[in-house]
Amino acid sequence: MEESRLVTPGEVLGKASQVKAGKGAYVSQRNSTVYASLTGRSCFISPPPNSIDQRPTVEVTGHNPHAAVPQPSSIVIARVTKVMPKMASADIMCVGPKSVREKFTGIIRQQDVRATEIDKVEMHSSFRPGDIVKAQVLSLGDARAYHLSTAKNEFGVISAESASGATMVPISWTEMQCPLTGQTEPRKVAKVET
Amino acid sequence: MAIAEPTNNSPSYIDKLVVPGDVVLDLSSMSNQTIKLGGGLRQDCDSITAMKAGMLRFSKPNKYWVESSQKRYVPSAGDAVLGIVVDTKAENFLIDIKGPALAYLPVLAFEGGTRRNIPKFEVGTLIYVRVVKANIGMNPDLSCMDASGKAAEFGPLKDGYMFETSTGLSRMLLSSPACPVLEALGKKLSFEIAVGLNGRVWVNAAAPSTVILVSNAIMNSETLTSVQQKLMVDKLLQRTQ
Repeated sequence: MEESRLVTPGEVLGKASQVKAGKGAYVSQRNSTVYASLTGRSCFISPPPNSIDQRPTVEVTGHNPHAAVPQPSSIVIARVTKVMPKMASADIMCVGPKSVREKFTGIIRQQDVRATEIDKVEMHSSFRPGDIVKAQVLSLGDARAYHLSTAKNEFGVISAESASGATMVPISWTEMQCPLTGQTEPRKVAKVET
Repeated sequence: MAIAEPTNNSPSYIDKLVVPGDVVLDLSSMSNQTIKLGGGLRQDCDSITAMKAGMLRFSKPNKYWVESSQKRYVPSAGDAVLGIVVDTKAENFLIDIKGPALAYLPVLAFEGGTRRNIPKFEVGTLIYVRVVKANIGMNPDLSCMDASGKAAEFGPLKDGYMFETSTGLSRMLLSSPACPVLEALGKKLSFEIAVGLNGRVWVNAAAPSTVILVSNAIMNSETLTSVQQKLMVDKLLQRTQ
């Protein structure tokens, strides 16, 4: 039982009474068994000598353990794909400083766009398709998308194109201006880093 | 090489034909004015250029726009259009209004609409609706009520015949005073008609022959002047009566 072997999602790694579930493994409450949730090598980590719970921890390392995966409260950079009346969809491109290898989708709901007057938010005046936004992951959300939030000063639109095609310059918390035509467009602007 | 230069004090382009690239206004010669640009015009620093081919129109105090007729419809807020139900979702009906994206008609956007009396529309029902919001990049929002919350003729259209035209013909049919074709037809025949700004027209009458006559008369009238329209309608009516 102690040697490392190749496992696939759903394989039994042990009983919950004998092992603790680490990364890449989870405990099923129904029959108190620890199953693997990734494809990779399982390995057992012995418990620290003076802890009460003397069960070893089982971990599964996937094919790319260094890949960037969004976790709750990580900061991500995403491109807005669709704006709807109550939420906006975005494709997550970077988690922290690393770019992602596979596609992750995030949703910014109307109540998570900013911190004040959350029921009066107009999604069309906060984001447009194609904007690059900096956001924080609120939760893993559902099977389709992570839930993202831009409700702080440093989160929001960091780069956007105007209707004429030029990159806009932020002029306030809620407006960006096109350098070619001088027109301003409303966005939820992130605090510019100095 | 001829470059389009804005010429000061030249005869203005208002009510004349413009093509994409024509510089129609030079802002440096008009200072301290706020100008509203409607469809078909674009601002490039100090000059206003036309983006569409059509007639440049001006309405006091300061609104300029290019009027042109196309088969494609670009949704804009406040338009009354004829839509076809494509699908029903929990919160909205999905309606095709001949625009780039399907439009959403909320299930409660009817006069006296509550969760208990949600109307049931079959796929393919023709509905006369008003566009509430039409932002670029988002699906347009529709409503079957006018701005004050009354039903005002919006809703499903039963029987009759629907045909598609260009947007220019729809606007001509809705112009006031009454369009010559409709006036001439209305003197001799009785029918009801609904015109959508998205290029769809619905006609209903007691007899199918009347419906066909009215539809053909309207479809023929796009390029005719008012006198020609009256003559055309008279000839059509003579042949059938």
